[in-house]
Formats: sequence, structure tokens, C-alpha cells
Amino acid sequence: MIGNSEGFVRMRTLQCVVLFIFALLAGRLAYLQLVDKRYAELARANALRHVVQFPPRGEVFDRNGEYVVQSRACYDLMVVYRDIGKQGFDTARFCAVTGVSVEKLRRELANARMRPRAARVIASYLSTEDKLRFDECNFPGFFTVYRTMRQYPRKIGGNLLGYVGEVSAEMLKRYPDYRAGDYVGMSGVESSYERLLKGVKGVKVQEVDTHGAIKGSYMDGRYDSVPEPGRYLVSTIDARLQLLGEELMRGKVGAAVAIEPSTGEILMMVSSPTYDPDELLGRERGNHYMSLLRNKRNPLFNRAVKAKYPPGSTFKLVQGLIGLQEGVLRPSDLHSCHMGYQAGRLKMACHAHASPIDLRFAVATSCNAYFCYVFRDILDNPKYGGVKEGFDVWKEYVESFGFGRKLGSDFLDEGNGYVPDREFYDRRYRGSWNSLTVLSLSIGQGELGCTPLQLANLACIVANRGYYYIPHIVKRIEGQDSIDRRFYERHYTKVDPKHFEPIVEGMWRGVNVGGTSTAAQLPGLDVCGKTGTAQNPRGRDHSTFLSFAPKDNPRIAISVYVENGGFGASAALPIASLLEEYYLTDTIRRPELLARIKNMQIYYPAYDR
Amino acid sequence: MIADRRDRIFEGVDLWTVILYVLIVIAGCVSITAASYEAGLPDPFSFSHFYMKQLIWVGAAWAVALVVLLLDERFYHMFAYPAYFAGLAMLVAALLFGREVNGAKAWFEFGSFRVQPVEFAKIATALALARVMSAYSFSIDRLGDLTKVGMVICAPLFIIILQNDTGSGIVLGSFLFVLYREGLNKWLCIPVLLIAALFIVSFLLSPMALLVLLILVCTLSEAMMNGMWRSRIVFLAGLALASGLLYLVLALVSPGWADLYHCLLAVTLLSLVGVAVYAYRTTLTNIFLSLGLFVGAMIFLPTTDYIFNSILKQHQRDRILSFLGIISDPLGTDYNVNQSKIAIGSGGFFGKGFLEGTQIKYGFVPERHTDFIFCTVGEEWGFLGTMTVLTLLCLLILRLMRMGERQEEPFGRIYCYCAASILLFHVLVNVGMTIGLMPVMGIPLPLMSYGGSSLIAFTMLLFIAVRLDASTRQFSLDKF
Repeated sequence: MIGNSEGFVRMRTLQCVVLFIFALLAGRLAYLQLVDKRYAELARANALRHVVQFPPRGEVFDRNGEYVVQSRACYDLMVVYRDIGKQGFDTARFCAVTGVSVEKLRRELANARMRPRAARVIASYLSTEDKLRFDECNFPGFFTVYRTMRQYPRKIGGNLLGYVGEVSAEMLKRYPDYRAGDYVGMSGVESSYERLLKGVKGVKVQEVDTHGAIKGSYMDGRYDSVPEPGRYLVSTIDARLQLLGEELMRGKVGAAVAIEPSTGEILMMVSSPTYDPDELLGRERGNHYMSLLRNKRNPLFNRAVKAKYPPGSTFKLVQGLIGLQEGVLRPSDLHSCHMGYQAGRLKMACHAHASPIDLRFAVATSCNAYFCYVFRDILDNPKYGGVKEGFDVWKEYVESFGFGRKLGSDFLDEGNGYVPDREFYDRRYRGSWNSLTVLSLSIGQGELGCTPLQLANLACIVANRGYYYIPHIVKRIEGQDSIDRRFYERHYTKVDPKHFEPIVEGMWRGVNVGGTSTAAQLPGLDVCGKTGTAQNPRGRDHSTFLSFAPKDNPRIAISVYVENGGFGASAALPIASLLEEYYLTDTIRRPELLARIKNMQIYYPAYDR
Repeated sequence: MIADRRDRIFEGVDLWTVILYVLIVIAGCVSITAASYEAGLPDPFSFSHFYMKQLIWVGAAWAVALVVLLLDERFYHMFAYPAYFAGLAMLVAALLFGREVNGAKAWFEFGSFRVQPVEFAKIATALALARVMSAYSFSIDRLGDLTKVGMVICAPLFIIILQNDTGSGIVLGSFLFVLYREGLNKWLCIPVLLIAALFIVSFLLSPMALLVLLILVCTLSEAMMNGMWRSRIVFLAGLALASGLLYLVLALVSPGWADLYHCLLAVTLLSLVGVAVYAYRTTLTNIFLSLGLFVGAMIFLPTTDYIFNSILKQHQRDRILSFLGIISDPLGTDYNVNQSKIAIGSGGFFGKGFLEGTQIKYGFVPERHTDFIFCTVGEEWGFLGTMTVLTLLCLLILRLMRMGERQEEPFGRIYCYCAASILLFHVLVNVGMTIGLMPVMGIPLPLMSYGGSSLIAFTMLLFIAVRLDASTRQFSLDKF
């Protein structure tokens, strides 16, 4: 027993203990509820699910209003691992309903297990029918998300239109508005116009319970937003011409580009071999992609805008024009050619033709010797005091034709081509070189590299007599009055338009009077053309042809390049001619030629080894 | 006479306690409704819902309260020991035939209705403790009486621990609060608390550190009890010196044979004999208490590792480890506490409003109508709500202590303090676990958590105190 006063002290002590304990609890509660703001955020993260609403991707039409790329509804199958439930689910039935393989399901579930509360994609590209069947079965933890999938009604323009794939890791780092799993345009039009095609994602904020079941809309949808569909594009492509181009180029490696000279609109752009764009879609995409990557002919490489080809004789047009502008050449100048050009020990061979000849005839008959004279005259022009200075002037002219640099088209992966500069030759020849050393440039050989797009652009320049519009692939964008301003500007070369007439005349004669291109003649259409046969140290010559028609008010300018095609007139010319005929007359009156070209298979030891 | 008795049932009943009780029960009902109401169910007043069931339990609890008030106070006095042994028997029966829930074999099941006998065993223990300690010849300073008290507390504790219901068992430890009020030497309370703390963290410390801590705690608390500081410090220094010397000698004789820990252990055990002799000759019983504590702790401390690794279930081990911050796993072990903190923390000052708490409504907080009922208060009523509930509970506990203090008989006082300490411990552990101050133990929030047996047991606990108090006041009213 203890005394009363001692008891009183102890009672007070215990009261203090009680108050202390409650003060401790109250203090901790004050910290949790009043000071630490983290928990409100965490509570929202728990109970709110932001469901992304994907917009349909913009579609693409050809110049005649025909679909070339369509968007079709498809669904991503998602899982939140935690919500599957302890008793599991019927995997066999699940696989039967959704068409996902059991192994894939196992693999994805094992991955999903790592982050049990996060939604994860199990399978993409579920069709609408599969989705409806899946919805009826009600597998807890699984749900579908609306996406769109590309569809190519004409199955044309693989490299031209590009393809759509899941966003890559480095893209995610650079563009924060993308989320993992988003689809993004990977090449061609899809990637150049990604910003317009993709649309704006919407979001639906929903309240979910601990099992992930949706309990309703948060705050009556105050924070929801509606997805904004991607814009549609009208492309400059003529789908039928493109289809014909791809058929004609089948079995050959190379490229063909057709442009409307008066606008710079690309009518057709074939890179061969091409591929069926539908193959780079859906669940089998990865396999197809790998087999395309393994294909030695490299179908994923867009030769039309990236390949560097020696232009061959087609470059003589540029040579002649520079000569005329520089005043070292008059159209009536005669040069003699007896099976070639001879200067000391160096000899540039030529084929048999009359001699001497003037410029028009030289263009028509593609005389090597004539342009060797012209080229040397340009470089050795005493006005500039030396061959190197002359070369600089020549290079400036060449670049004004769009060679050796990107044209600025709406292809993001456009190549530069290559025009060698003075430093290049200084390095190669240790500073001692002259116009004879680089003579092969005169006939478009040597170090020169041009993309088929640049060659087609050259055809446009000649067709327009001196200027070009930057080639482009999109004609109109939904909701916009005009496309980019740079496509409406005329770009003049450094050669005066008055000098073009003899060159055009030469090209016309080459087709319609007598020369290398007579096979390209189309009655009543006044086709102008220039063949090219580019020597190739690694095999058969490359065949190229550059053409436009009609001669006055031209509607189409075209360049065709067939690797290892032999003479310009043997492979590239008939392809270009058939395309022109089809575009200008809507029919083809030479079915035997058509069949022969379609079935022409060229042997490529370099690729198919 | 009988009519007279009936008239006087409510006479002297402490109105404050009853009001506080009713308010807390109402707060509990509101919270249970919020925790278990689901919008859009066809029949919101069907008795299949927790909140409707709880209403029945509230009615039953009030009937029990009435019965408790009806009985004469002498009944509880007489009833104490039989109730205590009945309680022990029920615990044993639950251990043998009971049903296992959440790993604890501590439940009886009657149809859909489950009773946890430990709820009632607590009341019986409180009554028995009051009875033992209120005996005329009882002196808390006497070793024999203290042992008796220890046995009364430890017998049910032992069975409860066997049931693997450690959380409920520890509640009985809260009677230290009562012992302190009844004059237990405070320098005994402190080492007991310290050693209890050592138990929790023992597996974190090396044996050497543990031994040194134990020696210091026991010696210093003994020194506080008896004075004579100098000799105690000499004793400690002697221990250190002797063990150091022993270590040196052993290291010279046969290097690597014994380390410092074993030397210290040997020296300490040897010195115990001397200490016992000294205590016997100076007749200082307090030293025996310290000695007993030390030896007991020496025996039990090494077993904590064993208890921790073998007896505790994996989930209990994880709870302790995660509470001590040794492991962290927000999706696994820490999930409950984490979600509970999110629910309470997201309530802010005013709360989200009745039936508006998303964490509660959508089931993110587990056990939200039973053990984690406080989360509902925190989320829906905010800081205002939690403070109101805590204030009510605090006032109730203080009121019980006040009632204890005004008893004329020690029996009533001790019982009131027992009730207060049980409530306090429940509140501390339950609220503490919802806000991450305490490890998770399956202990309900008194009078608020859903559950019939818990509500009825707490009502009985409280109203026996009210009855005892009312009788004292009737008696004192009669005198004037």
C-alpha cells in the first residue's frame, strides 16, 4: 500500500503518460494529414486510372482522291497483372478467343508480373471481331484499348509512304509527348508528316477500385479530353502510275521518279525492289521486317531519294548548259569525233556517228568527245586563270541544278548525292591535276553521285527551261489552305533560260529524228529524252533515261535508273516511255513491250551472291 | 427492497462516461457504414451489410451494459476468480478446438458468428488482478505478492502466445500501467520496459552489446532503487577490469581460445553469486528483483532469435522487420500500412466527406471496417475527425482513471485502472499501426471496429467500471 500523496503523484504521472501518448498520435496525424502533401497524390494514383484515348491516324489519298493509306480500327489487349485474381483464368479459352499463342501469353504474363499494378500490352492488333468475342468472355484483369492500324488498299509505295511502328527508346527520350507503345511514322510520308497524321490523344479519367474495376467517371469527366483525329493528306502521287511503275521495275534494282514540272509535284516514285506495305503491319510485322532486312537487295533502302548513282550521259545536258552560259560554247560549234576523244595517251571512246557535229546533234546522239571538248573549255577558261578556279565555277553551276545537296523535299531521309570539290582532287592527286585528270566528269562518270530524285529534278529544269520547284509528295493538308511555302518558290539555276532551247531541241531530236532515244517516240506527244549508260567497274553498265513530254508545256518529267541495265535504251528508256504513255494518254498501245519489260529480270551478281 | 434496487440502477452512474461511450459507438457506426456501404445495391437496409449488423451488435451491447449495471458490485468481487479460471479454460479450449483465423488459433465459431475468447479473458484478468491486489495483506513491495501478480498476468499471456495471437497477448503487458499506480517501484518499471524494448531489437544487436546493455540497465536501476551509487559503480568497474584481465591472461595462455564476450559472461555469472550473498546479508530484496530480471533476460534474450525465426510466422517476422525499416516492400508486407497512410494522409484538414473517400470506398485499405477503421475517419473526416475521435477516446481513458481515483475500495480503483490501461494500449497500437508508428498487430479499435464480440467485451469492461463507481457513489450519497 502506498500513501495518498504518493498515489496522487503517480496518478498525475500516469495522466501525463496518457496525454503524451495521445499527443504523439495527434502529432503524427498532423504530419500525415496537414504537412505531407504526398499522400493526396498517392491516393489519386491509387484510385484514378488515366485511360488514353487514341485518335485515328490521318489517312492519305492520291492526287485523284483515291485511298492509298487507310486507318482501320484495331485493339491492343492489355493486362493489369494484379487484377487477374488468385484463381487464375482459362488460358486455353483465352488463347482460342483472342488468337494469342500460349507461349506468347506465358511470356507476356511473366513480364507483366514484374510490375503487377501497371497495365501492359499482351498483344497488339486485335481485330474488331476478336475484340467483341473477348468482351463477351469477361476475363478479369484484361481489357482492350482502341488503336488504329494502317491499311494499304493499293499495296503500293512501300518506301514512299513509309510505315508505322512502335516508338523507339531514343525517340521517347527526345519527344516527351510520346509514351511507350505509341505508334509513330518510321519513314516516308508517315514520318515527314507525323505531326499532322498522329492527331491528339485524349484522356478519360476513371475511378477504379482495388481490383481495377472501373467505378465511374472522375468528377463527372471534368478532366477528360476527346481525342482529335489525325489530319488527312492528299498526296501528289498518281496511284495508277505508281502501280504501273512498280510493276515495270519488278525484277530490276533501281529507281524511277516522275515529277510534274510545272509544280514540282512527285507523280510517282518507285524504289525497286519494293515491298508490300501491308507486310509491315500487324502481328507478323517483326518477322517480315527481319526478312526485309536480310534481303540482300535491301528493299527497305529508298533508292529514289538516297542512292548515289553516276548520272552517265544524262549529265551531258548540264555540261552543255554550263558551256553555253559561260560562252565557251555556241550551239553551232562543231567538234569532230572519230570513235572518241584523244588527248595524248588518254582516250575517251565513243560510238560510231557522223562527224563533225554541232551541239544539238551531240545531245541527240550522245557524243562523248563533244562534251569532253566542252568540259575542258569550261575548266580551262583563261578568264579564271587556272583549272582549279575553273573547276570551282563549274561546281557552283552544278550545284545550282540541285546536285550534291539535299533538294529540300518532304522526305526526311533525302540523300545529298555527291559532287566532288577541289580539295577532294587535291588530296587524291596530291595537288597536281588538270582538266584531263578529271575528264570522266564530262560524261557524268567519275566521282559524281546523283539521286534519282535529283535526276528527275534535272529533267524538270530542262522541261521548264531553267527553273524548278522543290519536288514534294503532299498536295493538300486537311484544314490548311496551303502546304509549306518553300514548295511554291521557283528556283532558277545559274544558267539563263535562253540557253535551254538548243538542249531541248537536241533531246527532241534524239527521240523524234534520230539518235539514241528513238524508241521513246510517242506519236503526237513530242517526247524529249536523253539516255545514259553509266560505266560500272563492278559489273554491267547502269541504264538510265531522262525524259519529259510534251516538248512544249510539259506535263511530266521522268528519270529512270536501272542498275546493271546495260544501255540506256535497253532498260530505262522503255520503262520511262511506257510510263509517259500511260500518264499522258491513259492507255498503253504497246502491249508486247509492256509484257517484255514487266518480265525482264536482270541478274545481279553483286546482290544475290 | 427489490423495487428499491431497481430504482437505483442508474443512480450514481457516471454520465460523462456513458455520453463518451455513446458518442464513440456512434462514430464507430458512421465509420463502418462508410467503410462497407456500396452505392447502387438494391436493398441498403438489408441485414447482410456490415453496418446493419453492427446496429444489432450495438443493441446487444446496450442490453449487456444494462445487465452489467443490474448486477450488484459485490457480485464482481466474488465473480473475479471464477471468471478468471473460466477465462483461462476458454483460452485453452480455443487453443485446442478453436478455429484458426489469420494464423491465430484463437476463435470460436458459432455458425457465421465468431467470438475471440481473449476479449473476455482480458476482463477476467482485470477482475482477478483487482481481486489479488486489493487483498488486505497485499504489499506490492513483497516479492511473494509480486510473484502472485506476475502469475495472474502471465498465465493467460502464456496461453495467448501459444495461440499465436501475440498482438492480443501483449495487451496484458499494459497492466504494468496499473502496477505502477499501485506503487510498483518505478526503477523496476523502467528496466522492464527497457528489457521489453531489448527483446524487440535483440536480433539487431551483437551478443556483446546486448550483455553490456543488460548489465548496465539492471545495475543502474538497482542503484536508483537503493542508492549506494559508489559501490555499484565500483562493481561495474570491477566487472570490466576482471573480464579484461581474464581475457588478457587467456589470450597469453592459449591465444584464440576465448574472446572478450565469453570472458565478460563468465565474470558476470561468477559475480552473481557474490551479489546474491551481498543481497541476502544486507536484506535488500530489490537486488533480488534486479537479479531475477537479469537472469530472466539472460535466459530469454537468446531465445528471441529462436522465437523470431521459428515460432513467429513469416508475415509476423516481415511486419516487425518492415516496421523497424529493415525491409521495405510497398506492394507486399508494407502494403497495408502504406495504403492506410495514404488514406489518412489524403484526408487533409476537412476530409473528403461522408461516403466520398475513394481509398475506403474502392477497397484500397484492407480490413477497413475492422482493424483499419481509423482510416475511414482519417480519409472522410480529415484532421478534424481524427482529432475528435482521439479526444473522445482520451477523455474516456482519463475519465476511467478519474473514476478509479474516487473509489474507496482498492478493488474498484485497480479495476478502473486496468480498464483504462487496456483501452489505452488498444488505442495506441491500433491508431499507431494505421499511421505507421507501430507494427501491424491484429488489435481492434475499442468500441469502433466492426465486430460483435469486441464491442460487447469492451462494453462489459467499461460498464463494470461504471457499476463499481456507481456503487461507491451510491454508498457515499447514502451517507449524507
